[in-house]
Amino acid sequence: MRLIAIGIIALLLGSCSSGKKPDEQAFLESLDSTRTAGPGVDEEVINSILEQIPSPIEISMLLKESGSKYNEAILNSSNNLPKYNSNYKKALNLGVYGTDLGYTNIFGRNQDGIKYISAIKSLADELNIGQFFDIATIGRLATNSKNLDSLLLITTMNFNQINHYLQSQSRDNLSVLLLTGGWLEAMQITCQTAVNNPENAELKETIGEQKIILEQIMLLFTFYQGDENMVGLSTDLDSLKKAYDKININYTYKESTMEIVNGVAVIKDNSTTTIDITKENVDEIKDIINQIRTKIIS
Amino acid sequence: MKKLAFLFLFILSVAANSNDLVDQACDSDNLANACIPKLSSGFNFLKSYKVNGATKDKVEYSYVFTKGTQYMINLCPNGTSADGVIVSLFDNERNKVATSKINGQFVSAIAYPCNATGIYYIQYTFDEPSSHCAGSALGFKR
Repeated sequence: MRLIAIGIIALLLGSCSSGKKPDEQAFLESLDSTRTAGPGVDEEVINSILEQIPSPIEISMLLKESGSKYNEAILNSSNNLPKYNSNYKKALNLGVYGTDLGYTNIFGRNQDGIKYISAIKSLADELNIGQFFDIATIGRLATNSKNLDSLLLITTMNFNQINHYLQSQSRDNLSVLLLTGGWLEAMQITCQTAVNNPENAELKETIGEQKIILEQIMLLFTFYQGDENMVGLSTDLDSLKKAYDKININYTYKESTMEIVNGVAVIKDNSTTTIDITKENVDEIKDIINQIRTKIIS
Repeated sequence: MKKLAFLFLFILSVAANSNDLVDQACDSDNLANACIPKLSSGFNFLKSYKVNGATKDKVEYSYVFTKGTQYMINLCPNGTSADGVIVSLFDNERNKVATSKINGQFVSAIAYPCNATGIYYIQYTFDEPSSHCAGSALGFKR
């Protein structure tokens, strides 16, 4: 799930912005059918859902810990950039490239990362949110895996700024698309990695845990029933949900215990979750994710 | 009629100013930012939270925690000690799984090694009316 964060991160990447005011005229001219969010959508409600979705960086770290090798072939090539002509596609692929940038960062593949930074900047400019991306800072952080913490900080703060800005422009659907694109790419990378490492139970569980995130994302889409693109993607996500309906997450609560160590309350969590997910479930989810992603990146 | 209009404007003006005063009294934005570097070494930053309880009994956020990941929630109140502001963690079923007030003692951070994936609620409450302002940061490590 952390991959998503990274995706988002990349998106969010630019909070140390130049402070330039967006060109309102260019902005207005650039709007297309994705402009309209659901009327009367409460910013606080949307934010509370967006806020709870983990950063894709968390997933990326898991992938690296799993011992899996870096695989450039599973990422979306930056050469696909010219294909993205609508704001809908641009927003989704900004999320996708953000996750890909995070993935290259975690594995220390700086040269690949630079290509994604450039693609991210282009898409952000075209969506009139380029002012939130300080490309020099992002480049410096993203090309040094030791800067992961700073990258997370900047991207998180950026996402908040971008989200607030998009909401003020009644374009909050783009925030949802950024997030969804980043999450789908993180899912795709995780599924591919899991299929290549079938003995790794943790990866399989991670895929199963995404049921919780998918439910939250689908909840966000319910606010945009008047947007043709959002409805189409929501239908695709619904097919993914059907696959996830076969997976059970069993939660057992047991009271936790705690002690104070050096001024910190250190908790022992005695609750557990078990996830019933088979190899066949993973294969099905992987296939559906691939279908959705292919539509997005083509 | 004019008097009524002036009275209405006066009340609006007082209300607006009092809101400004409340905001000025609690700079939770800066407190939240200042709390980020106070995360313990080894924890990666995830989120920062503004905690302004001037007009409400509690402030709440949520986040999906993942099994196998250790989380830390820091508390940075508007003062020198953590006394008065409490951060508590609830699971998806609203069971309290952690708190920063243990046996009457306030601490400024919670370390939570998560063993059960799900949506968790991070809730800030206030023991004293004067202590309603803080910043907070959430970090993780694997």
